[in-house]
Amino acid sequence: MVEVDDSLLGKEFLEMALDRCIKCSTCKYGYKTFDKTCPSGEKFLFESYWASGRIRIIRGVLSGELEWSDELKDPIFACPTCGACMDSCQAPHADYIVDMIEALRELAVRHIGPADRQELLVSRCEENCNPYGEENSDNEELKKKYNLPDKAEWVYFIGCTSNYRQQSLRDATLRFLKKAGIAFTLIDEHCCTSPMIRTGQTSIVKEYMKYNIAQIEKAGASKVITSCAGCYRTLKRDFDKFGEPYNFEVFHSLELVKQLMDEGKIKFKSSYDKTVTYHDPCHLGRHMGIYELPREVYRRIPGLNLVEMKRNRNFAWCCGAGGGVKIGYPDWSVEISKERLEEASETRAKVVSSTCPFCRTNLSDAAEKYKFDLQILDLMEILDQLDIEILN
Amino acid sequence: MTETKQRKIYDKVSKEKVEQKLIEIFGSENVTGKSVDLYPYSYDMTECEAHMPDFVVLPENEEQLVRLVKYCNTNAIPIVPYISGNNVGGLTIPEKGGIVIDFGKKMNRILHIDENMMYALLEPGVTFGQLYKYLEDNYPHLRYSYPFAPPYAGVVGNAILSGMNNLSCKIGSMGDSINGLEVITADGSIARIGSCFYGKDEADDDSWWCRYPMPDLMGLFINWQGMTGLVTKCAVQLWPNPPFKKTYLAIVFGLEAIAPVMREVGRIEVVDDISAVSIEVVKMAIEIPEPTKIEGEPDFAALFPVSAKTENQMNAKKEILDSTIKKLQDQGIKVILVDVDEFSRLFNLRVRCYLDLPSVVLTLVEYSGLTWFGSYAPTHKLEELIREVYPIFLKYNVPPFIYMKIMKHGHYGIFRPIIRYKKFENEEKIHQLLEEITEVCINKGCIPYKTPVWMTEKMRKKINPGWLKLFDKIKNCMDPNNIFNPGRWNT
Repeated sequence: MVEVDDSLLGKEFLEMALDRCIKCSTCKYGYKTFDKTCPSGEKFLFESYWASGRIRIIRGVLSGELEWSDELKDPIFACPTCGACMDSCQAPHADYIVDMIEALRELAVRHIGPADRQELLVSRCEENCNPYGEENSDNEELKKKYNLPDKAEWVYFIGCTSNYRQQSLRDATLRFLKKAGIAFTLIDEHCCTSPMIRTGQTSIVKEYMKYNIAQIEKAGASKVITSCAGCYRTLKRDFDKFGEPYNFEVFHSLELVKQLMDEGKIKFKSSYDKTVTYHDPCHLGRHMGIYELPREVYRRIPGLNLVEMKRNRNFAWCCGAGGGVKIGYPDWSVEISKERLEEASETRAKVVSSTCPFCRTNLSDAAEKYKFDLQILDLMEILDQLDIEILN
Repeated sequence: MTETKQRKIYDKVSKEKVEQKLIEIFGSENVTGKSVDLYPYSYDMTECEAHMPDFVVLPENEEQLVRLVKYCNTNAIPIVPYISGNNVGGLTIPEKGGIVIDFGKKMNRILHIDENMMYALLEPGVTFGQLYKYLEDNYPHLRYSYPFAPPYAGVVGNAILSGMNNLSCKIGSMGDSINGLEVITADGSIARIGSCFYGKDEADDDSWWCRYPMPDLMGLFINWQGMTGLVTKCAVQLWPNPPFKKTYLAIVFGLEAIAPVMREVGRIEVVDDISAVSIEVVKMAIEIPEPTKIEGEPDFAALFPVSAKTENQMNAKKEILDSTIKKLQDQGIKVILVDVDEFSRLFNLRVRCYLDLPSVVLTLVEYSGLTWFGSYAPTHKLEELIREVYPIFLKYNVPPFIYMKIMKHGHYGIFRPIIRYKKFENEEKIHQLLEEITEVCINKGCIPYKTPVWMTEKMRKKINPGWLKLFDKIKNCMDPNNIFNPGRWNT
């Protein structure tokens, strides 16, 4: 019998790896579509770079048959944890494969540290509370600009990527919320901890979760809205997983848009006469099971022609930004997005739209690097370009 | 687990030099000697002992492999072929270390589909899922046959190891469906076997249409588990894909009563396949992971897929099937025939994985370990086999998972007790159970296929000396330096 260190947050998932997975390889390709879906396996090819290989690595390090060394870093960390393997796998442990990989990373960080540059995610947070190393914004300026109160029913949790890298998405969301008459405010956020959880660097995770919960509670909010798929997944699933429960509801901005549409409150006065293809963010799609809701929203925008890429919904090819890949393997990360944009180009769409600032960043980087004639926009940015009236 | 240092395979040339050579042949991105990359290739789902390879390479073409084989033959370095490692027999575990050749990643092209002569010419890495999709998209009027294996098991590996499929009642062993092979032998020469044997240069795509009637050299490679050469191309037969398909499920009461049901239905020549499982397996399929049989429940269930060109033909086949079942009932056998579509709706869609092949059979992927005594069996001894093997499962407190088939309308059968288990918890117990089953089955004349090393060791004690002498002679002749998957069959 192999014993697993009790102090590991991912202990139960490491134990699960001992009992599950015969390495049947079903995780490698889209179930029944037989399409390629795993960016890591397709790039590096050896078995150690596919989900089942990583499960074997867990067994190897726990049993002592595999010694810790820097050689283990790439197979363990070169994976965007997009969850395509979870979707393809049909075994009882399918839903927990990413949890297992994250637990393996937690274990690896203790023995050999994270992949190159991934340690910056923590050190920058320790300095400025965000993984980009930007000076922390307490969002007071934004509150003033948008005339937001200190306390409100809703908190817009901006997220680090929107606040420090994709401000147009942030501002589009802020304008939408104002237009919709939502009673909201902003808080002095710390990183939601998604980048740390994904890379197994859990040292500050619980502290940050507690901090954010306290800030939201201090704002008197009962509802939290975010325009980031990563923050959404983390708030909705990981807070509970890490034993930090809260008493507010969490929404993605998409869900609010859909609700307002359903209530007939959004009145479009202009149309968006472009062909758009939707890129499913992994953290919203495979991780949270939200596939149809965004499509319903896009289809209801006047003039917008929504077309699908060949691999869509649960079979969507990842943008390559997640799981610490963007910082740890920057060139490969953009290569992954390139493959997605090639697929998008086949649809003849002019706009690739997503609902995640991380996807927006990486797809934009690939579009620029590889000179794709495609515009990358978030749903909120598309809405922001339209003349809409929202009935309060 | 054995390591390189305990082996003496780098006497002639250092490991460092071997690595340099591999990089020269395959390119650095297609060669690994890192422990973390080697480890997943060191064991499989079975109880077979783990052994680390020294290198894994990802070949792209025959030229690279010719260079590799010549080099390994000169320096006596073992090479082990690998597609996806799903063989349930430890066949790709490098018993003596050396180089694992992973065909699954780059040598996985479908080279040609011949519509006229109905065959597919494949590289070794092609998987069932890949071939299925390719045929569906491009040749929907043709079909291949699919085993109850994961969709990413290799087609060529299954064929050259005489696997089975969902047309087995009609066509028998997959080894029989091979039209031609291209192989690299120990001296690095390439041979083409089958109707593709004419000509000095590359064979024409349309020349891989038949295996006979020249001396059947294919026997030097089929079922040899990679011990005589490297297969680099394989032509497998395809069949017309009839538009009408239906599957019936026979539910049988009485532990041994399933045997005559299978035999009788096999002989009427109307079903594509007959695969039977003990009732515990049916329960596993409806999400009872560790089922026990309750008194009064049926003992076995058998699937009968039927296909037809017209509705009338389908009805006629059903009529024959019904009358056979009626005859069996008249003989006192309690058997019920139901439409499996209704059955799957009644329970849950998990059952459909048995029908919509290629598909992962969910009952097989419950834990981290899976093993079996997979054997060709004399169909007239199925009753005895069931009678003696079923209680062994119960003795070890393991749900009896017995899987059987009728091949080629009953000329032979498959008897396969299967065990799912937790590798890190009870592997020793499972090995004991399997050894006990093996003993019983071999004594009844069963011939295991895809055999683990420990099993061939048992078999060698029972096989006639003349066969063993001939086998060893052929192996020595084909592979004088014992480089091809050494250790298999205790070589």
